[in-house]
Amino acid sequence: MDYLATKYLRPRKIPSTACSGCGLGQAHKKVVMAIDELGLATGDVIWGTGIGCAGRQTFNTWKGDNFAGTHGRAYAIATGLRIALPPDKKIIMTVGDGDAFGIGFLHLLNCARRNVDMTVIVLDNLGYQSTGGQYGWTTPRGYRTDSSPYGMYEPNWTQDGRDVLNILREAGATFLARYTSLQGQEAVEAIKKAILNKGFSLVHMPYPCVTNFAERALGTRKPVEIYKWFMEHTCSMHEKGPADFAFRTGIYYDASNSRPEFAELVKGWVADIQRRYS
Amino acid sequence: MRRTLDTGNAAITEGAILAGCSLFAGYPITPATEIAENMSRRLPQVGGYYVQAEDELTALHICIGGSLGGLKTMTATSGPGFILYADPLGWALGSEIPLVVVNAQRVGPVSGITGAPGQGEFYMSRYPTQGGNYETIVLAPNSVQEAFSITVEAFYLAERFRMPVIILADQLVTDGWESLSIPETPAELEAMRLKVIPRRVKEGPEFYPCTDAIDIPPVVLGHNTGAACSDWTPTPEGYDTEEVDFQHQHAYRLIYKVRNNKDLITRYESYFMDDNPELILVAYGSPSRVVVSAVKQAREKGWKVGALRLISLWPFPDEIFKVPAKYLSVELNYDGQLVREVQRAMPAGSEVHFFGKCGELPTVAELEELMQALLAGKGIKARNWEWEAW
Amino acid sequence: MARRTEVLVSGFGGQGVVRIGQTLSTAAVYQGLHTTMLVSHGTETRGGYVRTQVVMSPENIDSPVVENPAYFVALSKAAYHRFIDLVKVGTVIYDPAYVEPDQSRPIKQVPLAARDTAVQELGRELYANAVVLGAMARMMAGLVDKENILKAMLERIPRFHAENKKAFELGYALVAKE
Repeated sequence: MDYLATKYLRPRKIPSTACSGCGLGQAHKKVVMAIDELGLATGDVIWGTGIGCAGRQTFNTWKGDNFAGTHGRAYAIATGLRIALPPDKKIIMTVGDGDAFGIGFLHLLNCARRNVDMTVIVLDNLGYQSTGGQYGWTTPRGYRTDSSPYGMYEPNWTQDGRDVLNILREAGATFLARYTSLQGQEAVEAIKKAILNKGFSLVHMPYPCVTNFAERALGTRKPVEIYKWFMEHTCSMHEKGPADFAFRTGIYYDASNSRPEFAELVKGWVADIQRRYS
Repeated sequence: MRRTLDTGNAAITEGAILAGCSLFAGYPITPATEIAENMSRRLPQVGGYYVQAEDELTALHICIGGSLGGLKTMTATSGPGFILYADPLGWALGSEIPLVVVNAQRVGPVSGITGAPGQGEFYMSRYPTQGGNYETIVLAPNSVQEAFSITVEAFYLAERFRMPVIILADQLVTDGWESLSIPETPAELEAMRLKVIPRRVKEGPEFYPCTDAIDIPPVVLGHNTGAACSDWTPTPEGYDTEEVDFQHQHAYRLIYKVRNNKDLITRYESYFMDDNPELILVAYGSPSRVVVSAVKQAREKGWKVGALRLISLWPFPDEIFKVPAKYLSVELNYDGQLVREVQRAMPAGSEVHFFGKCGELPTVAELEELMQALLAGKGIKARNWEWEAW
Repeated sequence: MARRTEVLVSGFGGQGVVRIGQTLSTAAVYQGLHTTMLVSHGTETRGGYVRTQVVMSPENIDSPVVENPAYFVALSKAAYHRFIDLVKVGTVIYDPAYVEPDQSRPIKQVPLAARDTAVQELGRELYANAVVLGAMARMMAGLVDKENILKAMLERIPRFHAENKKAFELGYALVAKE
C-alpha cells in the first residue's frame, strides 16, 4: 500500500491500530486502489465513516475531507452533504455491518429509495467486534459470539433465503455487489463501478476478524484458520455454496445511471419551480 | 415592509428564508408541521431545498450534512421529535455545526396533547444530548413578530458561534395568528436591528482551533482542505483520540465560546423593575404575554409588582435577578422547570413560588388572585397545579 | 373604540370556526388595529371542538387570552356550555340549530340561524360561517368596518365568492346593530 498510502492517505493513521491479522486493511486498500485506478484526486472524494472497527480504523485516513457520522446515521448526513456539494464530488463511505444493516438500516434504505449518489462500502466483520464480539445481523447462524454463547439463534440478513442486497435492490439501490476482502482485482473493479454509478451504490465486503469472531466462532486466533474458513465459505452469486453458510459474491445488481439521482432530482425540481413561478 | 396577519409558523419560515436558509429537512408533527409545509412551498421559490425525512433523526442529520457542505439549514419539530434530535444535536454541538433547530413545545410527556401548548423542554433544551461538556444557545419568542426576528437572530448566532441554536417556541406562538411585518429592504432589516451573516464557505479552517473565540468561519467539506469532522474527541488536528487532555481542550472550546460571550446572547425584557418591586413574575414564551398584562393591571391598582420576560433562556441570565423579592415563576408545565433556575439565581432574602398550567394559558384573573395572595404574605391557595413555597 | 375587544368563536370542526377568527383578525389588521388570534383544537382531525380567541386593540396586545369576551359566538352545544361562564358583560351569538341557551343568565343572547339560513337560501351549510361574519359585521359596526370584514372574508375564503357574499349580506340583515 506504500505508493497508494503516500498518494492518498495521512501518514499519522498509517499503519492503522487494527489488530494484527485483521482483514480491514485489505478491504481499505481495495477502496483506495479503486479510487486510484479511476484517476481521482484527494479533492474529488469526501470520505465518510461510521463507528466501530470499520469506522474508527478508516476515519481521517483520507488526505482530503473526512467526516465520521453518528452510529448508523452517516447516510443521512451524506444525504444533506450530497445536496450541498457540487455533483462531481464523490462521497465514499466505509462503514460496519452493525452501522449499515442494524442501527442505520432505515437510513440506508431511504438513501437507496432516493438514489442518493454515494458509495457505501460495508466492511463486515460478522458482528460487533469493537465492543468485544457480540453477534450482529450477518453473523452466521449457530456461531458462538460473546452474546450468543450457545450459538447465534436469530434470523440474520444473509441466510435462509434472505439477502440484504435483495432488500436494498427492492428499495431502489442502483449498484450492489459483494466481495470478501480476500478476493482480488474483481472486487476493486466492482468498487470502481460503484463509484462511477451516479446514484446509490453499496458494496458488501465481509472481512476476517481474527481477535474476536475467529476466537469465539472457530476457537482460534490463528489468522490462517479464519482466512481458510472465509475461502471455504466463499462462492459466486450463482452457486449455492456450502450448505451451512456462504458469502455469495459478485456483482449482484448493476442498474448504474438508470434512475434520477436524488440531489440532481431536487435541484432540477427547484429550478423548474423557479422557472414556473418567477 | 410587508404587513400581514400570519402564524408563528409562517413567521419562522420567512425569518429563515430572510436569514439565507436554503435547506430544510423535517418530519411532520403537530404543531410544527406548518413550518415544514411553509418551507416546502417557500424554499423552492428562492432556490432552496426541502427534504421530508423518514424521521427526526434523519431530518437533523440531513441538516448537519447540508451545513457541512456550506448551506444554512434548519429543522423544526415538537417534543416527541425533539427527543430524537438528541443523537444529531450531540454531533452538531460537538462538531460545531451552525444550524437552527425549532421546537414548538406541546403538552407532554410523550405524545401528550398535540395541539396545545406546553413548556416541558426547558431543561431538555439545555441538555439536549448526552455527555455534558457543552453549552447551548436557546431563544424563546413570545409573539409572531418575535418568532420572525428570533429566527433571523438564531441564524446569526449560529454563524458567529459555529453551533446549533435552538428556538424554544410553544404551540400558541407557532399556531397563533398575529400581525407580522416582514422587512423587504436592507434599511428595513437594519431598522429592526436584524443582521445576516452569509455562510463563509471557503474561509474556514480544516479544524477549529482550541479557543473560546467566536466569529471563526465554519468548517466546510468539499474544498480538499483536509477537514475532519467526527463524533469522537478530537486532537487539535481533528484525529480521533482517547487522551483526556485533548478532551479537556475540546470541552473548553464548546463551553467557553458561549460562556465568555454570553453578553452577545442574553436578551430579556423587564417591566416595572425600577422601584424594587415586592413581587416579580418570571416567564418566557406565550405565558409571558399574560404575565405582562397582569402586571400592568396590577400596577394600575398600585400593587408593587414587576416582571422579567426571558427571551434567551440558555445560557441562563442569572445576572438579571438582582432584586431581593418574592419571585413567581409562571410556566406551562406542572412540574416546575424555569422556577428551579429562578430559585438558583435569585438573590439572598428572596422567596420563590411557582404557578404552572399546561395545555392552555393562565388568565390575568388567575394571576391577579395569586399576586394578591403573595403580596398579602399569604401562601398560594393549594390547588393541584399550584405549589406552595416551591 | 374600546381599549381592547375580545371575541370568542367556538364550535365543532368543519364549521369554519378558524375561518371566522381569521377573517375578524385580518379585518382588524385592515382597520389598523393590533390583533391576535389563538386557535385551539381538540384533536388533529376534524370533528373535535374548535375555539378561536380573537383580540383587537388600538394598542399593543399583551395577553392574547379571551377572558372577558365582548362577543361569544357559540356554534355548538358543547362550546356554549364550555365557555358561557366567561361572558359577563358581552353578547352571546348562538345558532339555535345547535344551541339551547340558558335564559336564566343576565346577559344579552342573540339567536342567529346561520345554519338554517345557509341551507334554505343557498342550499349548503358550508355558507353558515359567512352568515355569521355578516352578522358580526353588523354587531361590530364602529369597531371594525363592514367593508373590512367583507374584504378579509373574501381573502380568507378563496372559493364561491358570489355565494359567500350573499350569505354575508343575509347574516348582516338578520341581526340588529349593537
